[in-house]
Formats: sequence, C-alpha cells, structure tokens
Amino acid sequence: MRFLYLVLTSLTLGVLVGRFLSPNFGNAYEVMLYVLIFLIGMDLGLSFRKEELMKVGRKALLLPFLTLIGSILGGLIASLLLGIEPKWGLAIGAGCGWYSLTGPLIAQYSPLYGAVGFLGNLMREILTILIYPIATKRIDPKKAVAMGGATTMDTTLPIITKFGGREVALVAFVHGFVLTALVPFLLPLILTL
Amino acid sequence: MNVFIPLTLGLLLGYLLRRSGKKPSLEAPVSVALLAMIFFLGVKTGEVQVNGLWLLLASTVFAVLTIAGSLLLAEVVG
Repeated sequence: MRFLYLVLTSLTLGVLVGRFLSPNFGNAYEVMLYVLIFLIGMDLGLSFRKEELMKVGRKALLLPFLTLIGSILGGLIASLLLGIEPKWGLAIGAGCGWYSLTGPLIAQYSPLYGAVGFLGNLMREILTILIYPIATKRIDPKKAVAMGGATTMDTTLPIITKFGGREVALVAFVHGFVLTALVPFLLPLILTL
Repeated sequence: MNVFIPLTLGLLLGYLLRRSGKKPSLEAPVSVALLAMIFFLGVKTGEVQVNGLWLLLASTVFAVLTIAGSLLLAEVVG
C-alpha cells in the first residue's frame, strides 16, 4: 500500500510540473519505459520456466478478445450516455488504451472526438496504474489485466508485475501483444462505418 | 524503438545470469524506474490542454466504461 501512495505522489507531482512548468524532458518517458521493459525482461529471464508459459497459454489468448469486446461495449454505452454518435464510441472503445494511436486516427475524421479518444484512452492507462493494485484484492489478478487493454505489454506492465506477480506478467504481455496486433486493423475499420 | 528489443535483451541477460547461478534482486531498480516513468507520464498528461469541462467529462466516462466493460466480460466469461 505504501508503494501505491508513492505512485499517486509521483503522478500528481508530474501532472503539476507538466501543467505549470511545462519543462522539456525530451524523451525521458520513453527512456524510462524501455529501462523498465528491460528490467522486466531480465526478471522473466531469471525465473522463466517453459511449463509456466504452457500454463498461461489458453487464458492469455482468450482474455484479449474479451477485453476488446468489453471495451467496445463500454465505449458504445458511453456514447449513448453522452449523446454521441455510436460510431465514435465504438472507435474510442476499440482503442483499448492505446491513446497515441486512437487519438490521431479518430482526429482524421473529427478533431473533437480525436481529442476525446486521446484523453479517454490516456485516462484508461492512468486509471489502470492507480486501480490495478486495489482491484487485485477483489478480482483475480490475471482477469484484472483486462483493464489495461493494449497497454499491458508496455506502460502498465510494470505495475501489473509489481502487484500481480511474475506469472501475471506473462499473461499481461501476451494480452497486450494480441491487442496491439488487433487494434491498428480494427480501429480504421470502425471509422469507415 | 520497439519494446521487443529491450525485452529480448533483458530476457537474454536474465537467462544468462540464471545459467551462471546468479540471481540479483531487481525489486529496488524496478520500483525506482517505475516511479520515474509515472512521473514523466504525469508531466505528459499535465501538458495536454483540455478545452472545456465537457471534454474532460466525456473522456472520464469513456475511460471508466471501457475499463468496466473489459473487466466485466473477463470476470464473467473468462
């Protein structure tokens, strides 16, 4: 729990710095992300057993499809609640947390919904970082991976590994990998509806 | 850069260390790197200019409902 407070403090401090000082940190975010991914890879390499991968296989392959369908349904309900044309809701939901792809793709058709797609998916990533540690106390940590969408193979993987454990890290990576492969094809398809 | 590059390099190094019988603790470096990454993510978020309360509200509704939809289906069907 103490680490969660540190996460919250770190995020709040970052938002305040970004909002009021707008410093140019260059690609520091990406660099830290790659450092983390490297360390996670190292951790997996130190403890990897072939049998563990065989064990997570089935669940890891079903989960991303459930995540995608659930996310699209959630986006549809959100659009109905907000009085937005369902097409935009489906597209924002199909982004599955991949804000850097969803925002620009939707913005090609509508700058306003492109901004909603960007922010909504960015918030999904942030909420996953904040909620995953709490959610794992009530939900199976493997199933809770669904909340991160496509981000579970990179940006939310560290927090999932930290609070879900090494075995969940494998599920999360495969989950994110499958969604990362699906979203770039599905999203443009929805936008042509 | 593709995430597969650092991941593969890490996996390889971890595997080689395991083969040589060494097992360093990665908890502290992972925690420090994670907090730094979250800080920089916060900076990126803070720099986004939000045009109006509606944009913020709509984005929040989408974030919450897409998470809820995914979790619900994973919990019920998965």
